[in-house]
Amino acid sequence: MNVLRRIGLALFAPVLAIVVAVVISSAVMAALQVNPFRVFEVMFDFGETPAQQTTAIVVILNRAVPLFLAGLAVSIAFRMGLFNIGVEGQYRLATVLAAGVGAAVALPGPLHVLLIVLVAMAVAALWAGLVAVLKVTRGVSEVISSIMLNVIALGIASYLLTGPLRGSPEGASIISTAEIPESGWMPSLNGVFGALGLATPPRQLYGFLLVAVVVGVVIAVLLNRTRFGFDLRAAGLSPSAASASGVDSRGMVVKTMLLSGAVAGLIGMPDLLGSTHAYTTDFTSGLGFLGIAVALLGRNKPVGIALGALLFAFLDRSLVPLQIQDFPASVVTIIQGTIVLAVVIANEIARRVALRAAERGSAVPAIVAGDGSTGPGQSASGAASTGGAADGGEGTGAGVSRTAGAGQRSDERQETGA
Amino acid sequence: MATAGTPAGTPAGLSKGAPGGGGDGTAVPLAVELRGITKRFPGVVANKDIELRVRRGEVHAIVGENGAGKSTLMKTLYGMHRPDEGQILLHGREVHFRSPADAIAAGIGMVHQHFMLADYFTVLENVVLGSEPTRGGRLDRAEARRRIREISDAYALGLDPDVLVEDLGVGDRQRVEIAKVLYRGATTLILDEPTAVLVPQEVDELFGNLAELKREGLTVIFISHKLDEVRKVADSITVIRRGTTVGTADPKTTTARQLAEMMVGTELPSPETRTSTVRETPVLQLRDVTVAAPTGRPPVDDVTLTVREGEVVGIAGVEGNGQAELVDAVMGLRSLAAGTVLLGGDDITAWSTRARREAGLGFIPEDRHRQGMLLDAPLWENRILGHQTRPPAVKGPFIDRRGARSDTARIMQDYDVRAPGPDTLAVALSGGNQQKLIVGREMSARPRLLLAAHPTRGVDVGAQGAIWRLLEEARAEGMGILLISADLDELIGLSDTLHVMLRGRLVATLDPRSVTPEELGGYMTGARTTAGAA
Repeated sequence: MNVLRRIGLALFAPVLAIVVAVVISSAVMAALQVNPFRVFEVMFDFGETPAQQTTAIVVILNRAVPLFLAGLAVSIAFRMGLFNIGVEGQYRLATVLAAGVGAAVALPGPLHVLLIVLVAMAVAALWAGLVAVLKVTRGVSEVISSIMLNVIALGIASYLLTGPLRGSPEGASIISTAEIPESGWMPSLNGVFGALGLATPPRQLYGFLLVAVVVGVVIAVLLNRTRFGFDLRAAGLSPSAASASGVDSRGMVVKTMLLSGAVAGLIGMPDLLGSTHAYTTDFTSGLGFLGIAVALLGRNKPVGIALGALLFAFLDRSLVPLQIQDFPASVVTIIQGTIVLAVVIANEIARRVALRAAERGSAVPAIVAGDGSTGPGQSASGAASTGGAADGGEGTGAGVSRTAGAGQRSDERQETGA
Repeated sequence: MATAGTPAGTPAGLSKGAPGGGGDGTAVPLAVELRGITKRFPGVVANKDIELRVRRGEVHAIVGENGAGKSTLMKTLYGMHRPDEGQILLHGREVHFRSPADAIAAGIGMVHQHFMLADYFTVLENVVLGSEPTRGGRLDRAEARRRIREISDAYALGLDPDVLVEDLGVGDRQRVEIAKVLYRGATTLILDEPTAVLVPQEVDELFGNLAELKREGLTVIFISHKLDEVRKVADSITVIRRGTTVGTADPKTTTARQLAEMMVGTELPSPETRTSTVRETPVLQLRDVTVAAPTGRPPVDDVTLTVREGEVVGIAGVEGNGQAELVDAVMGLRSLAAGTVLLGGDDITAWSTRARREAGLGFIPEDRHRQGMLLDAPLWENRILGHQTRPPAVKGPFIDRRGARSDTARIMQDYDVRAPGPDTLAVALSGGNQQKLIVGREMSARPRLLLAAHPTRGVDVGAQGAIWRLLEEARAEGMGILLISADLDELIGLSDTLHVMLRGRLVATLDPRSVTPEELGGYMTGARTTAGAA
């Protein structure tokens, strides 16, 4: 009962947001003379043959992995009340350098991959660390500095790509770094489909999916179950209370940004290790910004972020089929945009609803009783007899049975208050 | 809902001096009258049975310690929230304000302590902002300028409408704020701690302006806790303590000391046989501790004191005399300009807050919402706060959720924290229950020294008694307690040694068994000095 209610509350906001977003974007489509039902039909059409269907799933998962990592990177900073807008620059710079290093060395299989990943994490962490150092030493807002460092990172990345790390021949239409040798590739997970008795798709399911899952679990444990995570969240909930409790807030800013950056460094890895094997001018961009939306959608919780990433990946996949069917691809962007807006609003509504329920639950009757020490069990008796302060608020009796459901209790309050 | 709690009139109790003719007999209705105003918030004592009678054309001061409920009262009068009980009467007619706009329409203006001015706008633009005179849809500057000049001349405010606010000094800015409310037709002005930001010379100027306003028949409500100023400028005074009006006073016949008594309470605790539990071993020693400020005199200036085992050392003082900075210095939240802090035998001057806490420093902060709790976190996480490095809250690098939950349940049981369970969000608890949780949490760690800053502020009488009892028990067990408070009952009742802090210095050391509240009040306001200064 209690667990169900908590899950219900947690799902309330995002589901509401998605429904509202679907309604709004349908209205926009209708206004653009596009049949929204046809659009949604195309979106959910994964193809006829089993191979087509598994391909669709692979495309969604492959897109979801970097989105998840991006959302995770943003959410770590968010949990401490930092807004890391610099994820975009962090992962792009990290990916180009990792690609360069990966192409320059020759190592046995797993070690080669590990090196590339570590280089990416280190570069992105350092880049994010700059933001933290600026904030801690000079008081520069992380929003401003991370946006500015984005521009610098992208500039450096394209300089590296066209200059020192260039691997493609002169005059090629797409400039790229040298290809990483095969020992630095991540094997795909396509074997899974065979094992599950599904058609093996022509596309490769990124092996990095497993890494992402592990990273997600590690981050979830780190944030929710460890002292470090507690300090981090405490600093996010109330910096002043955290300092008074002994959290070194400056150190925490640096550690949080390093961690956020390290995860940001992984964003480019699925594509780099799984399919492109080189950083190119058309390497996936914009993931850092989408990550902010995904983190919002997932309310900064790893599971939520995973669901948000899957939703965004699902929407992204429908871009190609929609264009084939002659629908404007912008409908997907409209849906994504409205979802983000709706989520922000719905989160706020959910927060207020929860707060009001909590306050109705215990605090208000406590004051009615006048001794400030009344539990929610006493709400009914406290409200019924305002003058009951004389008996020291001990009139628990009837109230206790009502602790079962907050909803019921609040009804009670409204009746007595009227 | 509008049932006045008590009949109108001067509340019984500590009415000092003559209420100055009251108002019942006079024919002119009162400019502002509040009857039995009660305002409740989740978890705090706000206002209870407030009685306020302000005559037309007077400067009426409302005095009380920080947190006594002055601001809540003024917000009620300004329509920022509605009272749960009681009546507001303006010029004899009852009014119900839904928003400040209603209050402004009824002729009430508020000059906030923190100015609400746009720096890069001119005086004119700031004054008219929000109620611009227009001609053909455009700002009618000529008309605005004319009216501002008119107001400025009528009340001798000396404002130039075309200067940028950025270029003005603090006193001028305040006059712009006053012009703002006058421009909106206010006949009753509320000034919230108007002298807090002014230097003495500017204060005199402000009082000159207030005299002008009075001469023109306007009513001024002046909120302050600076007693000398209040006595200088006010025609009558209402004193608020612990959320309720405790009496009125005539500034001409009342001394600052008498006012101070009314503000902080005179009921001496019932004489109890107190056996001293003070032992020899010092747990906290401050030696020549000085905290520097970016500008001006140091907020804490050369403070030396010792807290021994089983001893409660009280720091009395009017708020803002360095107590908060002293607390920060002991907790390691603010670095020292000079001096040393010793906990037991260790010099902890350079230690981090966490190291200090681990070494046995407990902390009950002055503002529990700011420093004591994570309001949006469950109680069991609040149990961990401040104790992140030791059991039962943690196991190695991991949080012991089960341990924290069960220990929270124990604290709730032992310290009478009334809440549904450890998973309740802290924000849902009343102030008294939140405070009891904090006290229980800090006590559970068995600190050697407990730093208790206003431990019973904003909690109701029941919780107050409980917290006092807990502090006494802890003292008997040998805990050293440094108690900072503005409540004389609390200080005299609990302390073994009493220091008075004034302008960052310890100016007197007193024996709480023999000191009278009058004496204490005298030291606190600087009216009395002693050779026994520390």
